[in-house]
Amino acid sequence: MSPTGTAVAMGAREVVRQPVLVALFVFLPAYLVGVFTIVVPDTGVTIQLSSGPEISTTLGDVVPAVMAPLAAALLGGIAGLLLVQSMSVADRRLLVVGYRARQLVVARLALLSMIGLVASVAAVAAMRLAFAPASLGWFVVATVLAALIYATSGMIIGALFNRLIGIYLILFGSFIDLFLFQNPIASDAPVGAAFTPGRHPLDAAMDAAFGDDVPLSAVASGLGVLAGLVVVAVWVIRRSATSAS
Amino acid sequence: MALFADTGLRLHEFVRRPATIVLVLAVPPLAIETYGTALESFPQLPGLAEPARVGRVTGTLFAVAFLAGLVGLFQVISSRSGDERLVLCGYSRMRLLGTRLLSLFTVGAVASAVALATLGLRVDVAAPALAFGVLIIAIVLYGLLGVTVGSVLPRELEGSLVLVFAADLDNALSSDLFDTGVVGRFAPLHHPHALFESAVVSGELAGDHLLPTMAYLIGFLVVAVVAYTRAGVRAPRS
Repeated sequence: MSPTGTAVAMGAREVVRQPVLVALFVFLPAYLVGVFTIVVPDTGVTIQLSSGPEISTTLGDVVPAVMAPLAAALLGGIAGLLLVQSMSVADRRLLVVGYRARQLVVARLALLSMIGLVASVAAVAAMRLAFAPASLGWFVVATVLAALIYATSGMIIGALFNRLIGIYLILFGSFIDLFLFQNPIASDAPVGAAFTPGRHPLDAAMDAAFGDDVPLSAVASGLGVLAGLVVVAVWVIRRSATSAS
Repeated sequence: MALFADTGLRLHEFVRRPATIVLVLAVPPLAIETYGTALESFPQLPGLAEPARVGRVTGTLFAVAFLAGLVGLFQVISSRSGDERLVLCGYSRMRLLGTRLLSLFTVGAVASAVALATLGLRVDVAAPALAFGVLIIAIVLYGLLGVTVGSVLPRELEGSLVLVFAADLDNALSSDLFDTGVVGRFAPLHHPHALFESAVVSGELAGDHLLPTMAYLIGFLVVAVVAYTRAGVRAPRS
């Protein structure tokens, strides 16, 4: 097995050894989305998709469709932050014995991808009870993309800040970004909303949920943001490991 | 007296880290301002008059409450083994819990003052003392929630996830963004939010919401005490 594969397998084994944690990965996103599918009223709203058209729908459809990527992103961000912090000592040793920072980031990202996929499927399944997106497959892709972008952001934040600040930033950041800035109900979003990490995944999710077209450009842009964040994560983790040793 | 000396030690440990000062002084104002700016673009929601003001008011309450929740959570998680040793040395669990609560109360009070000052820059606060009192109630409420979660789920990732998801749900349900009906009324911050809104807007005490808030406070205190003492019973003696 390659060094990266070994790091992924060991990380996954450590997570699976904690059944409560695995249960939370499934339960929490499903719970968050599930509560919103129940409580949000069916008020009529008009939303503007990034691909162009205006759609008349209800709050009861829009809010669960926004909450699913938010739940996956929130879980991905917190997991990214705390996994990086909890594995930082082991990672420094792995760098000493010949691992490259890039291999470690890829290994951690692979582990976070699995966690993000589980959280996304749970969140989308809970949403599906109340609302059926136009393209379920692309909606899941957009949700996983949101989870990965926030997981990578969590890795960067985890390498730069302590856990208190990090968790605070991820909670407020994800809520303000995905639920407020990128919410399709909102009009005249602030200028900064165009540059937040949740923009492209949520555009893709809304296009997949309410539009007729495949959200290829939004997904491609989201992958570009993810690639940029991975580069930053490699640099930040290498720098923090070097300065600590 | 010993309780205050212990609390002083905990606070000294807390303020020695510059990042913590940043967390208390800089991050809540940033969250409040961003929250208000973000809600300015929500004109469509029924019943959401003056969305920017609603955003800043909600952001203020939530920013300090969640900070207290996090401090409570990590105080319990990071000091678990140390507390067990102190119990073996003769400290009572109630005294240890008292120092945890007093130190998070002090940190929360400073953050509340900063947050209220931030709010006051953009919104006229009709009764600042009353609004500050409500913020204190909110930090005690969330501090107790953090202590409870940290006692039941002593691993960082598990505890953080539960607290963050609970806080996110509470924030959305109690924020007046949507009419969430009877479910929203059970959100822990629903009644403090109404009290805070009333203190800021009219300067009056919203009496209807005081009793439920106190009931939540007592309920959370009982649950936190039970969880903290039971966690000590379950913890392995090393």
